Amino acid sequence: MDIIGNILYDTVYHSAPIILCVIGGIFAYKANVLNIALEGMMLIGAFVSTLTAFLTHNIALGVLFAMLAALAFGLVFSVLGVTFKGNVIIIGLALNLLASAIAKFVLVRMNTSNITLSFMNVADLKIHIPVIENIPLLGNILSGHPLITYISFIGIFVMWVLMYKTKFGVYVRVVGENEDAAKSIGLKTDFYKYVAILIGALCCGLAGANLSTERLGLFTNDMTAGRGFIAIAAIYCGQGSPTLSAMYAVVFGLARALSVNLSIYAGPAAGLFDVIPYVIMVCVLTAVSIVKHKNNKIRGFKNE
Amino acid sequence: MKRTLKKVLCLAMAAMMGLSALTGCGNKAATSSGAPAGSNASAPAKSDKKIAIVCDTAGQNDNGYNQAAVNGAKEVAQKYGVQYKVVEPTNGVPAALEALADDGYNVIFSLEYDFDALIKGVGGAKPIAESYPNTTFVVFNDNPNVTSSGAVKYKNVISVLFDVHEASFLAGSLSVLVNENEKTLFADGYKFKDPASGGRAIGFIGGTNSNGITVFSDGYIQGINYMAKELGVKYDFYAKYDAGFTDSALGSTVAGTYYDKGANIVYGVAGGVGEGITSKAKEVGRLAIQVDANKDNQQPGYVLTSVLKNTNVPVVTICAAMVNNKLSTMQNVQSYSLSSGATGITDLSEISKHIASTDAAKAKWKEIQAKITEIRGKIGTEIKVVNAQAGEKFDPSTCPNVTIK
Repeated sequence: MDIIGNILYDTVYHSAPIILCVIGGIFAYKANVLNIALEGMMLIGAFVSTLTAFLTHNIALGVLFAMLAALAFGLVFSVLGVTFKGNVIIIGLALNLLASAIAKFVLVRMNTSNITLSFMNVADLKIHIPVIENIPLLGNILSGHPLITYISFIGIFVMWVLMYKTKFGVYVRVVGENEDAAKSIGLKTDFYKYVAILIGALCCGLAGANLSTERLGLFTNDMTAGRGFIAIAAIYCGQGSPTLSAMYAVVFGLARALSVNLSIYAGPAAGLFDVIPYVIMVCVLTAVSIVKHKNNKIRGFKNE
Repeated sequence: MKRTLKKVLCLAMAAMMGLSALTGCGNKAATSSGAPAGSNASAPAKSDKKIAIVCDTAGQNDNGYNQAAVNGAKEVAQKYGVQYKVVEPTNGVPAALEALADDGYNVIFSLEYDFDALIKGVGGAKPIAESYPNTTFVVFNDNPNVTSSGAVKYKNVISVLFDVHEASFLAGSLSVLVNENEKTLFADGYKFKDPASGGRAIGFIGGTNSNGITVFSDGYIQGINYMAKELGVKYDFYAKYDAGFTDSALGSTVAGTYYDKGANIVYGVAGGVGEGITSKAKEVGRLAIQVDANKDNQQPGYVLTSVLKNTNVPVVTICAAMVNNKLSTMQNVQSYSLSSGATGITDLSEISKHIASTDAAKAKWKEIQAKITEIRGKIGTEIKVVNAQAGEKFDPSTCPNVTIK
């Protein structure tokens, strides 16, 4: 029972940053912009949040600056990728490298290899919900997480509303599906692409703050460790649907939690558990692709 | 979109093929250049000796591994009047080594774990050690300087190994002593699991499953076993050897599961992952052990100790041999033991500040420190610790008081 509770808790722990990246990234996906800079935006968010909190001893300010830094990255990405029509892969790659390089440069200037927030204890940032806390299993899922983790799960619903129930969401999807048609009815397509990318950047900034400041109270370089790319895979698996994509993010979190918690019992074979997320991703992407093209009767056209 | 993806894939594949072709070349070059270069470091007059330190990616101000080496160089400069230069390579270690050797530096210390260009030569080039037979190169933490038959390949390369298994042994014994006495030693604020009811467990998190990591854990297990046997208790040992070196969130959650299972102390040998472990230790009010440099004040009060590599000791030793013209008689593989001062655990001054202020706690703490000093004296003579780095195999059945999970 205990271990199931721990697995559930760790699932939420590891899912949250990926979910944030996913629900932010789907807008760019729907607007037909491949944003591979999610990783870099998350890393710069993680770095700036910890750095700000370290300098000001104010965690809220840290989170705010994390979002601003990620927005700045998003803005660079949009200006180069949308306005100047640069290759988004190259720009994204450059931003990913830049984030890590900036962090490293500042760390070297600060004469340290990592930033540790010694003034706070991350245990104090956890929100314990009174009654629910004591319910087994459910308490592990719903209680004892920091604020941004809750925001990430609430965000799934918010983004779903924004995507499917507002004019803005419709326009973003129109821009992505047929840019010429969108232009012909007078939509400012570049504007919608900008906003789509910036929403993603904002969420990535939050994800970074969650990963570093809120959960660990420290920053080490490259601590995002590929989570941004996992998010991209989750977005593709879920084809940009907020709920479905977020579900794949949770699947990844679950796999991570399993590999962490079961490694005690597995001994030397524990390494195999870390393969689970990737195997799942490959299987899902294959399955999604097969299902998608199952009814494809005419060559080159989808039967939609 | 699809076309872009396809293009990216094509590019990536082409790059991979190119790379694999390159590595193929590198290996070939390595096998064909087996003949050792004959001559040793030449020995001009004392005053014009020059040494250089090539830092690893952490840089010279890392408060530990690199900085210690630089301090060693400063000490030598004062003592013998040799010139020294510290380099933080921007263009890769091999380029820095070549440039320094060209400049006529007599001894070059390379702190990065990067030996291929030096020993094997990459991209078809001659190995650097062979190109500069009059320069002595010193590498750390491994002995790459061997031919396929195990003989010394280049006489002008010295491999420095730290006997961290002995330091880890001390850390293991200390862990058990502290764990058994946690009630006396620490005031409130800490949330230890009572040793008598499931708290006799210790965790270890390593970055990768290699001799460079197991040398720590093997020594640690033996240290735990030694003390547990003396006290007549049994310990569970949880270990993960594939945590990588960057994902601190992973380190934090893995440490979390160990703490949950009753471990009061988790030892991390995994770079940035270790920072996640200390963060978790603070969160749950238990203890962690760090590695490489003195990181006791990273989370003050929650880092029990750090297992050290004091790079200044080999720097000073080798430079002293250089000025005395004894470099050519030095061994090509040098192990620095506890007694050399190059490895060990910290002086525990940081954790001492967090010991409860009762008389009983202070007395107990003094007793523990005395015990550790006693064990330190026995290691190497009475106590033999398995050294995985030297290819020795650790047999878990020799540690009946530790159950490896």
